[in-house]
Amino acid sequence: MNQVRATFTKTLKEFLRVKATLFWTIAWPILWVLLGSFAFSQDIPEEILPLVRGAITIPMIVFALMIAGMANIPGNIGEDRERGLLSKLRSMPVSPWKDFTGRFLALLTFSCVAVILVGAVGYSVGARVSGSVADGLTSVVLLLVAITASAGIGMLIGTFIKNVHGATMTGVGVSVLSAAISGVMIPYSSLPGILQSFARVYPVASVNSMVIYLMIGEEYTGYNPLTAGQVVMTITMAVVLFVAGLTAYSRLCWKKE
Amino acid sequence: MNAIHIKGLTKTYDDTEVLRGVNLDVKKGEFYCLMGPNGSGKTTLVSIVASIRSPTSGVIEIYGKSPEQAKHFIGYVPQENFSSPLLTGRENLMYFARLLGYSRKEAGGIADNLLEKIGLSHDAHKRVSHYSGGMRKRLEVATALFPGVELLILDEPTTGLDPSARRTFFSLLEEIKGKETTILLVTHIGADAELASRVGLIDKGVIIAEGDPEQLKDESGLENAVTVETVVQSAKVVNVLKRFGEPVLETDAGYRIHCTNAEEIIPDMVRSLDNAGVKVTRLEMANPTLEDVFFHLTGKPVGVDE
Repeated sequence: MNQVRATFTKTLKEFLRVKATLFWTIAWPILWVLLGSFAFSQDIPEEILPLVRGAITIPMIVFALMIAGMANIPGNIGEDRERGLLSKLRSMPVSPWKDFTGRFLALLTFSCVAVILVGAVGYSVGARVSGSVADGLTSVVLLLVAITASAGIGMLIGTFIKNVHGATMTGVGVSVLSAAISGVMIPYSSLPGILQSFARVYPVASVNSMVIYLMIGEEYTGYNPLTAGQVVMTITMAVVLFVAGLTAYSRLCWKKE
Repeated sequence: MNAIHIKGLTKTYDDTEVLRGVNLDVKKGEFYCLMGPNGSGKTTLVSIVASIRSPTSGVIEIYGKSPEQAKHFIGYVPQENFSSPLLTGRENLMYFARLLGYSRKEAGGIADNLLEKIGLSHDAHKRVSHYSGGMRKRLEVATALFPGVELLILDEPTTGLDPSARRTFFSLLEEIKGKETTILLVTHIGADAELASRVGLIDKGVIIAEGDPEQLKDESGLENAVTVETVVQSAKVVNVLKRFGEPVLETDAGYRIHCTNAEEIIPDMVRSLDNAGVKVTRLEMANPTLEDVFFHLTGKPVGVDE
């Protein structure tokens, strides 16, 4: 457990001490919550405004999780590789699985911080939800599925893109692009048919729709994502991405040359 | 039992043979230096000892065990600055101590002791990004000095350090040297190798000479080295110097030749350079260095890439 704790503490401190990480994961989604809540919702009737603001805040929470997993994790791995830390670790009796677990737990904690802060800003500008406590708890589980999928994608980027800036920028790019084309940034109903299909299988976008469906209502998702088929598909895709990322990281980044 | 026993070690990447049958024995408690130019295979060799790379063939034992089994008592310091610039010196040491299984309290105690040993107690709570190159290197060496480490491997530790930081760094090594810890140092700098009890010169994946620094210099037969610093670099200088000793080595400090009668030839040399219109800014006679020995054996300077 000491190895897991050591990596957890180190990674979390690094996440919290890099301004770019704080900006992209926390400040950027907050900025969009503020813009969405004030600039883009002026013609919306007063009675539904709190729910609309809720429907703006939830995707930004999901986007924060995407950035945390897809950009911060590869950036952190890239930096450790570039400065020779991974070589040093390979010379020590350190288990790659424990290293990974430490990094993932740090990601979870950092993501929680991001979710709380983005959610708090949303709440403070009037965002409200209509879901029950049970819906809220289900949403937390679903957000964990989104973090798992994001971490898997992040591990894959971090494993295959060796350069720290390349890995970080690819992570940001994948997050922004995939959020834009899968209904996280743009309403699902505005997407063309092919992208709507993608939004249903892309686990992060699917979680986004499920949480909005649970906490705000079906009229804000444009469809019912909480079907047995889509739930199974979303969890399966998230697990597949996570296992692929974990396998690539532990086999390739820790491989003896 | 030897600390390191290597026999017939080879390492091939694609079609390139980086190590070609290396044989090496390092005794327990010895300070051994592996010196050679970049690309000679020295980093590959130590990374095999440190269990980062696998050999293609050959035998390697660390205290009678395979490198993988010996990880618990190997302290490896790679060439790069691997410490986290975002963490403080103490946090970095705590991280490595906890990776080795120490509890938080034990790790804190070990980190404080090591920080005192390397003279960084006052800077323990500063982020490493605020450390100088020398401070950072000392911190990184400390990550390899945890209790139980019996073999310290240092890969080019003085690269990028200024002369003052290098001296401070070597005073730390002087403290460690002679105790129970075996030190394996890799360098391409002759002055660094002088501190070792035994030096192996490596070239093209083979150890070409081995011995204590004085023995290597004596056996080379070199008596004097003359360094001539000129304002401009030109073939004219080389042509003049060739008359007094060959080959002529170009170094950062100027041109260098080896001869047996330096005191007698220097006046002639100065006259000849003057007649050739070469302006000499500094002329120095010195005992040969390990770099001279390497040059004498291979015909190429140790500071160049292969």
